[in-house]
Amino acid sequence: MTRYIFISFFVVTLSIAAVDRALAQGQADQPEWDPELTEDWPPVEDLVETGEPGEAPSDAIVLFDGTDLDAWTGASDDRDDAPWRVENGAVTVVPGSGGIKTRQGFGDIQLHIEWRTPEEIEGDGQGRGNSGVFLQERYEIQVLDSWQNETYGNGQAGSVYKQKAPDVNASRAPGVWQSYDIIFEAPRFDDDGSLIKPAYVTVLHNGVLIHHRFEIKGPTEYIGLPKYSPHSNSLPIMLQDHSNPVSFRNIWVREL
Amino acid sequence: MIRLITYSLLTAAFSLAIFGSACAQEQNEEPEWHPDLTNDWTPVEDSVYTGQMGEAPSDAIVLFDGTDLSNWESAPGYFTDASKVPEYLEQLEGDFDPAGWNVENDMMTVEPGTGSIMSKQRFGDMQLHIEWRTPEVIDGDGQGRGNSGVFLMGLYEVQVLDSWQNQTYSNGQAGSIYKQYSPMVNASRQPGQWQTYDIFFERPHFEDDGSLIKPAYITVLHNGVLIHHRQELQGPTVYIGLPEYVAHAEKLPIGLQDHSDRVSFRNIWVREL
Repeated sequence: MTRYIFISFFVVTLSIAAVDRALAQGQADQPEWDPELTEDWPPVEDLVETGEPGEAPSDAIVLFDGTDLDAWTGASDDRDDAPWRVENGAVTVVPGSGGIKTRQGFGDIQLHIEWRTPEEIEGDGQGRGNSGVFLQERYEIQVLDSWQNETYGNGQAGSVYKQKAPDVNASRAPGVWQSYDIIFEAPRFDDDGSLIKPAYVTVLHNGVLIHHRFEIKGPTEYIGLPKYSPHSNSLPIMLQDHSNPVSFRNIWVREL
Repeated sequence: MIRLITYSLLTAAFSLAIFGSACAQEQNEEPEWHPDLTNDWTPVEDSVYTGQMGEAPSDAIVLFDGTDLSNWESAPGYFTDASKVPEYLEQLEGDFDPAGWNVENDMMTVEPGTGSIMSKQRFGDMQLHIEWRTPEVIDGDGQGRGNSGVFLMGLYEVQVLDSWQNQTYSNGQAGSIYKQYSPMVNASRQPGQWQTYDIFFERPHFEDDGSLIKPAYITVLHNGVLIHHRQELQGPTVYIGLPEYVAHAEKLPIGLQDHSDRVSFRNIWVREL
């Protein structure tokens, strides 16, 4: 190992010197390029083991595997237990009990979550199979039964709620499990609270790309325009109680 | 439908008017916000039907389903450095031989020496799903072990390599944007196992005079694990020297590389974005 590090160090030093020389030469005549000059050593050692599609990779934090809500708490601060129903490997919203959130806080993440709206259609528009995945408790990816259900584009399933409609409607029929794979870059704030970098989100809905690193405009607002205000870089993921018995399963997250 | 459109138009006009006055008001006092003002009723009409994970969605173009290479043809030899890219692009105007790779057991396999192949159809912005497998019997090491590559637009390579306990430079291991970016983690499976790439690619844009307006961007999931998030590409992949953009068409073929190793591919589909 020591020998390896030594060799790597030597190669890096050599490479830097050679690239410098090549670049300097580039000004005057053709540099003497060698393929090795653009090789980055050492290799990436972080091994991640993967299983079937949708299965949690080895470096993921499993937030819900179908058994219990130990990783969750009530979304309102006054209750410690997560008040939703766990049954048949899924967790279902108990209408009126409030949302649930992870005990752990997160910043930049890759999140996998599966959800299902009730098979029996009840209500329409925003009243049909409504819930939401709130990243850092404030940036919502809408969950809705958008199968032949008209509503505003930036409020349908997969929308960055009231900010951007999904590129396509990849919804499945009510009662069928669906998936979101979400890549989220948390916003960064200066010490004085000013925004250094907004949040970005990429979303796959049932494996279909619906947002490619969309710049989030601020926390999700039901009324009015979004506007950033500074917050911690580590905040829980929240799932919304919007009065409909929406179910979730297989929830895992990889910290980026 | 007409009624819906009329309604939408009416709502839009109404919203715009209110939104305008709300914004105007914002100068001196709090606007009178209402939830409907931020509802965008432009409907998303494109419905996409999806099956199992990895299965082609309904709007995908299937490039290889295991039966034949009718969507593929032989590709011109690849360039080694940036100065050779224009020559490669010129060659694309010619006619090409049928793809010389083997199709067997629902997969295509590189037949070493027959050359790289490319899709007959040309693509720009895309979501690409492709599955690949390096030989179960390990032969060679480093870059000589299960080497191939997926070339977006024939120019921008996502490296295919057996990177299971196989040391090589990080910006050349499996999932690297070859010689530009190392993967965030090594999500490789063992040789002989099928692996997946899900790639989201935004093509570069050029001015009429050939200057770059917007570079290419790429996101890659390797076996479902994020390894690049909308990385800005530095130019076409080059083996020697530094990458440099060269103006090219809005759509170009997807290339798969013959790097002398018997790498297999299956279930290849693309969605145009």
